[in-house]
Order: sequence, then C-alpha cells, then structure tokens
Amino acid sequence: MKAYDNTKTAIPPMAAPSDMFQKLQKADRKQAALYLFCNFVSLLLITAYSAMMFSPTVLLVLPEGGDSRKQMLAIFVLALFGCVVFTIYASHLFFRKKAKQLGTLMALGASRRWIAPGLFREVLTLSGISSLLGIAAGIPFTCLLWGLFRLFIVDSAEMKLAFDFKCLYLSFVFFIIVVAFSCMTAYRYLKRTNIMDVIHEEHKNEPVKELGRWCGPVGVLLLFGGAVLGYCAPHIYRAVFGYYYPPVWLNLFYAPVFVGLYLVMLHTVVHGWRSHKKHPYKNIISRSMMKFQGKQTVNNLLVSTVLIAGAAFAIFYLPTMSAGQFVDMGNRPYSYLCRYPDSQKVLSEKEISDLAAEYGLSLKDFKELPYLVLGTDGMAEIEDEGNRYHTEYRELLQEGRFLSESSYCALTGQSLSVAPGTYYAVSTTDETGLYYTNSDCTLFTNLTTGATLPVSFRGYVHADFLVTEKGLNVLNDSDYEKIANGLSEDWREHIFVFNIEGNDSYEFASALFYQLVDCYEPQYAIPTYYDRVEKINANESGEVYWGDTDTMTNISFDEPDSTDFRSYWTYMPQITILNKNDFLRTYAVFLMIFLFISVICILAAVIISYTRCMTIALNNRYVFDDLKRLGASPDFLMKEVKSQSKNVFAVPAGVGMGAMFVLYTLIMWGNDGKVTGMEVISLGLCLIIVAVLGGLFYLVYCYTVKRMCGELGILK
Amino acid sequence: MLYVKNLHKSYRSGGKSYPVLKGVDFTVAQQEFVAVMGPSGSGKSTLLNCISCYIPFDEGTITLGGQEMKDLSEDALAKIRNEKLGFVFQDFMLLDGLTVRENILVPRIIQGKVDKEAEALCSRLLSLFGIEHIADKYPADISGGERQRTAVARSLINQPLILLADEPTGNLDSKSSRAVIDAFLNARQNLNATIFMVTHDSYAASFCDRVILLKDGAVYNTLEKQGHSPDSPEERGRFQERLLEEIKKMGEETA
Repeated sequence: MKAYDNTKTAIPPMAAPSDMFQKLQKADRKQAALYLFCNFVSLLLITAYSAMMFSPTVLLVLPEGGDSRKQMLAIFVLALFGCVVFTIYASHLFFRKKAKQLGTLMALGASRRWIAPGLFREVLTLSGISSLLGIAAGIPFTCLLWGLFRLFIVDSAEMKLAFDFKCLYLSFVFFIIVVAFSCMTAYRYLKRTNIMDVIHEEHKNEPVKELGRWCGPVGVLLLFGGAVLGYCAPHIYRAVFGYYYPPVWLNLFYAPVFVGLYLVMLHTVVHGWRSHKKHPYKNIISRSMMKFQGKQTVNNLLVSTVLIAGAAFAIFYLPTMSAGQFVDMGNRPYSYLCRYPDSQKVLSEKEISDLAAEYGLSLKDFKELPYLVLGTDGMAEIEDEGNRYHTEYRELLQEGRFLSESSYCALTGQSLSVAPGTYYAVSTTDETGLYYTNSDCTLFTNLTTGATLPVSFRGYVHADFLVTEKGLNVLNDSDYEKIANGLSEDWREHIFVFNIEGNDSYEFASALFYQLVDCYEPQYAIPTYYDRVEKINANESGEVYWGDTDTMTNISFDEPDSTDFRSYWTYMPQITILNKNDFLRTYAVFLMIFLFISVICILAAVIISYTRCMTIALNNRYVFDDLKRLGASPDFLMKEVKSQSKNVFAVPAGVGMGAMFVLYTLIMWGNDGKVTGMEVISLGLCLIIVAVLGGLFYLVYCYTVKRMCGELGILK
Repeated sequence: MLYVKNLHKSYRSGGKSYPVLKGVDFTVAQQEFVAVMGPSGSGKSTLLNCISCYIPFDEGTITLGGQEMKDLSEDALAKIRNEKLGFVFQDFMLLDGLTVRENILVPRIIQGKVDKEAEALCSRLLSLFGIEHIADKYPADISGGERQRTAVARSLINQPLILLADEPTGNLDSKSSRAVIDAFLNARQNLNATIFMVTHDSYAASFCDRVILLKDGAVYNTLEKQGHSPDSPEERGRFQERLLEEIKKMGEETA
C-alpha cells in the first residue's frame, strides 16, 4: 500500500491508551453501575450480618454452643454462599457485556499485554471501590436497621448495640474473594485464543443441560429425603457408633437437599410444572427464553431459594418462640407463682398483701406449700476417650423436686392418689417437653441423711403451670414424710401461688418482683441447669463442676431485667402480667437478631431476583423487538414478561418458605412425636408470615414487571 | 500477497469433531479485490477468521506478505493483526464510547503512534469515504452505512497488507451497501488496498476481480471477471449473471 500525503491536520484526539480506556469506561457506565451495585449490596449485607454475628450485644444473649448461635451461623453460611454466587454472577454479567469491547480491541491487534493494564485497572477500581463502599456502609446500615427496631418494635437496655470490629475480617475475606474473582475472570478473557468467541460472548446462549422430566419429581424426593437423612444422621450415628458428639461431616448428609433443590429449579426452568401436552404452544416463547439462558436462571433461582429459606427459618423462630409462651401464660390458674429455698427468707404472705394494698389490690387464692429436693438415680452418660461414651448406673445422678400428693391436689385442685413406692411426674397437658421429667427413676435419696426410697414410675399428671426445667414429681404422702425425715433446710423449698382480686396491676407485679429479687443472698444467683447433686458427684471425683465455670455464672442480681436472668434464674417467679408485658423486652435482642437475619436474607433475595429479571429483559430485548415487528400486542408482550419474571420470584419464594414450613413442622413433631395445640398456633402464625412475605414478593414482582416493560418499551 | 494452502479446520462439539475447512487452496495478489461466496455452512467465515488469526487452524499454511502465520506467539499475532491486517465486520464492531474519528484511530492508539501523520491520514480517510461531517459523532448517532464506512476507514488506518471483510454489506440496505462497496473500490484505487471479502451478496461480489466459490469446506470453483473494461456496468452485470448461474449450478448439485 502506498504512503499517504499527510498535509491535512485535525483536532488532536486522545492519543494514550489510558485516555481511550477512560472514554470506553464512561460509555459502559450502565453495566459498571450494575456491577458496582451488586458488589456493594453483597458486601453491605455480609458486613451487616457479620457485624451482628460478632456483636457483643448478640453474643451475650445467645448462649455459646447453643442452638440459636448455630442457627445464626448456619444462615450466615447460606447468606455467604448466596452473596458469593451473586457477585460471581455480577462479574459474569459485566464481562459478558465487556467482551464485545475486548474482542474488538483484540481483533484490531491489541495484545493481552496492551489490554491488561487498562482492564485490570478498571476491574480493580470497580470491584475495590464497590466492595469498600459496601463494607463502609455495612455498619451504619446495621445501626440504622437496629435503631428502627428499637424505635418501632421494642427497646431495652440490653439492645444497646455494641460492635466487635473483628467482624470486618470476614468482610475483608469476602472483599478479597470479590476482587480476586473479578481479576481471575478478566485474566480468563484475556487468555482466550478464539477472538470471535470473545466478540460474540454477549449473544451466546447459555442453555442448561437438559435432563428428562424425571428431574422434577426426583428433585422433590431428594429434597425431602435429604432433609430427613440429615436430621436423622446424628441420632443414628450416635446410636450405632456410640460417639458422644456427632462429627461435623455428618452434615454432609444434608447434601441431597441441595442436589434436589437444583433439580427442582432445573425442572422449573426447562420443563415447567404444567403439562404442555394439551397446549404445546402455550407460553412457548417465554419457556424457550428461560431454557436458553437456563444456566444463570437456575443458579439465580437456587441462590434466591436458599436465601429465602434462611429468612423463613429465622423469622419462623419468632412465632415459634412466643406463641407457646403467650398461650401458656393465658392458661395459668394462678397469676403469681413463686418458688424459694427454705434457707432464704423471702417476703411473707402479709408483706405481699401489704405491698398489694399500696397499689389498691388484694390477694386471693393464696397457697403456700413445701416440696423437697432429693437425689434421683439413673443412667449417666460417661464421656470416654475418642469422643465415645458409655452409660453407667448411678444411685445419685441428679436433683429432683418432689411434692406430696396432698400438696399437689391442693395446688392444682385435682384429685390424685399415689400408691406407696410409686411416683408421678408432672407434665404439660400435651405431655411435651418430657425430657425435663424423671420417668425412669428407681431410687430417691435424702441428701442429708442418705436414706433411700425405692420407687417405680407410675405415669404423668398434668399441670402446665407447675412444669419447669427443673422437673417436678409427686410422691405418696407417707413416702413423702418418710424420705423428708431429717432432710435439712438446704434441700427444702416452698412454692406459693395467688391471684389478685379484680384487675391486676403491672406496677404491683413489678414492685413485687424487684423486692423478691432483693431478698436473695448472692449464692442463690444460680441458673436452672445448675444441679447440686451433679456438683457433689464432680467434687467427689476431684473434678470442678461444669456449672461453676465462668460461662455458667452469668446470672446476676444486678441485672434482673436481662434475658439471662429472666430466662434462667432458678427461682424466677412466674408473674403473668409481668411476663406478658415484658416478653418483648426480655427477649428483645433474641427476637430482633432473628428478625434482622431475616430482613438481610430477604433483601438479598429480592435484589438478586430483581437483577435477574432486568438481565432477562436486557438480554432478550431483540426477541421482544422481533415480536413487536411480528405484530405482538402490548398485552401479549406483557404476558411474556410476566411469565418470565413470575418464575424468578414465585419459585424461590414458594420452595424456600414451603420447605422451611415443612422443616419446622418436622422439628416440632420430632421433639416429642406429635404436634401440640400450641405448636399448631405457632404454625398458623408462620403461615400468616408466609402470606405477608408472599405479598411483599408480589409487590416487588409487580414493580419489576413495570421496570422490565419500561426497559423494553412495552407501553399499555 | 496472501497464500492459503491445504487449510484444514474443524470444530469440536459434544466430543465429536466436525470438519469445516477440508483443504482450501488459493492466492490473492496485491491490489486484487477478491470475494468468497458459498452457501451457509460452507466455511466462508471460518476461512476468514483463520486468515485473520482470530481462530486457530488445524493444518495447512497461510502466508501473508511472505510471513507464515503458524506457531506465532500471541504478541506476534497481535502485531500482525494490527499492522498487516485490516478487518471489517458484518456488525461493524465500533466502540460505542468513542467518536467516529477516535474509532478510526484505535489501531493507531494500539500501535502507540497517534502522531500528526496519523491524524492527517484519518482526516483523509474521513474525506475519502464521505464521513467527515460525522467525525465527532458517536456510533449510536449515525446510520448503518456510515458505521460500516467508519469501519472500512478504521481497517485502513495502519495501511495494512490486506483488508479482510466479513459480510460487510450483510446488515445494510442497498444504498448503504453501494456506499461501502464504493469505499472498497476507493481504497483500492487511491490507497492500493488489497481486499478479501466474504459475502452472500452477488451484487457486491460482482465488483470484485475474482470470486472464489466455496462448498462443503473446499474450493468449488473460481470465477474471474473478463473483458476489456472490467469496471464497466455492463461487464459487472455479466459477471453477476455468471455468478448467479454458477451458484445455481452448485445448489443443484447439492440437491
């Protein structure tokens, strides 16, 4: 080619590659904004969640090693998984759009080495800034949400939010994952040798691997089978191999749940759940669109489902925890019930009456009755080396509380006759929570004299208001007298109950509670799970009783309003009006943590579903344009848009919440082999929550459809 | 200028190998305007992508300006694409964030030589292809024909040995198509450009000196424009008729 005659000069354009990259980035700001938004949201949610998870406010309330902490961690793992997949998706989207630009530059002779600095600078800037902004916004977001809870739902001294900034370690690990993954994707694109593939990446379909129609039913089977397998595996393992704690890897038995979930989503995307035999062409366009971008759609549905399941699991905790307590409070025959040790002087009936009089109240139905604390026998689980255990009979295993039959009848108004040498255990009407009762004892021991009483278990008597975690049993009157003979006051306690004439007063109840607490000497600040017989056994074997370690001594008379005190103090009085009014305050942190987790997970799921729908609209714009040219009416187009986005919202919401509802029912049934009336009420409340969340998802769905139609230029 | 000998290329899908090019041989001389035609799936675009080093080929030899294009490093291939090849895509492949002038200069920016000479050449190309009035506009603001003429100008900014065009008129109306063909003819006449074009369009191909017909991954036939004044409308019309006849014959053989 000949040389040119260069005489005409022009306005100097950009000359440096960096100027060009800057201009190209400016043109890509829409897709960059989406990428920024996705990363920002992921980091914000992860930071907010980990801020709560590490918050001393939360850790003080959730007992270490307790189920609540494990549940919080489990949902965090789900949220983390969801956010990781979401950021990978965002980065994938960004590079798909970017591919045309990269491919064009490569086609024009730009080498990898030439493109790399500009590309990596852009990727690092976008992923870095969005992630750091997300982290920075995480803590204020937590404060805001928690502040809103305190303002509009409940507030207590315990709810004062404190942070442990160790939580940021997790955020930074996630930050590194996001940045590293973005760089890896950029590197992968640069390494590609087929430039035409890079150029056409944006329009490449991502058909999902099509399996037969069997994948739906098999998915459902695996979903439920995996849940049952995972739930039963630790019990079976413990029974078969005799290990004390089931190993963590046993959780792998839950893996079929995820495979099942994937298959269900795959079936939804590829085949749908309706038969198309009768109308094979119905919704054929939306079905084919769904199918040919199935890979990402299935991933998105999966992540949303997992997040919604996490949210439902957390929020179902609220009615499950509170419904039972409210029903129980409503059914109490006495508004006031108080236990106290004989060795501690507390308020007398007269003192209580005088206090009531100060509030214009008078007592009625006052009864005060004694009961004994005896040693009970049973099979002890002894931990061996290598996480194994064996059982051993012990004459003195733990404490038991015993009423005489006459006292029981006086308290409950029931008639009961206990044969000598036998005993009854007090249980709830539904006979739930039987793990607190002693149904296999054969020997009771007077802990002062060492005298024993051979017994056999006769059955359960029902008095809901007397059931506590300490358990309560009923003895024959003469057996009671016999075994009580010589028992020191250290092992004797009293229970008093009464009602108020007319309407009760919260102020009186509150005053009584604080005065009662003030009566106690410091040594009585012990939690319900503190067992003096176990302590004697431990001391005799030269060991320190586990209840005397630091973590177990966190009950303090200085904090009578704390969750720990009100939930676990051995002599915590049952005062109906106080319990009802203070319920939210007492369990505020507990309840709000789960509400917080739920809000975070729902937010993440909603954003993921919205982003997916908008991507479907953007990627299929040409399909909608073609349909318009073929004469499709706005109604028809709108129907296609709805049909696309409906699955993205409805399937994860339905499967996630449905699966958790079934899981809660299974857990309730698994506790004692039945679903009690109280549990039915909780499940009913869970259904109301499902309806509310369903409504919320529907509103977001409507908004999304509107935005999609706007993006596609579908005007009604 | 361009020698292609015994070129083989196959694609793999689902563990199976599908041969697309099965031993293609041809040459293109300097300043020649050659088209490749053939039915869908005959391997036209694959051939072009192999020549332009966008996709690797399996077997055979491609020599451009005396340099064999096999076993070259990524950097060396990039240098060839940038300096010795110009490419025009069916869907233009302009960068949305850059103006027409900037788009034309992109190969020079990649080369690191945006000097006065480059700017002057850019202005000349803008004027040569009748797009100087849109020099500061963005691709989204101009017509398809203007976009493609911008792409032709871009492909020539580094004075390549050969200009490769893949269905350059495929997305254009007849008026714009003619403008793009004129741009090619202009480039050949004024800049001594060598052009190798894949097309479905017998009208566009009729402007070429030679048309290679490809069928099932091999050269089926080569037609050359004849006569004393090959650029005259009559001669071009006759050439188009011959092309259509040969394409019909090729189709009948397949049937």
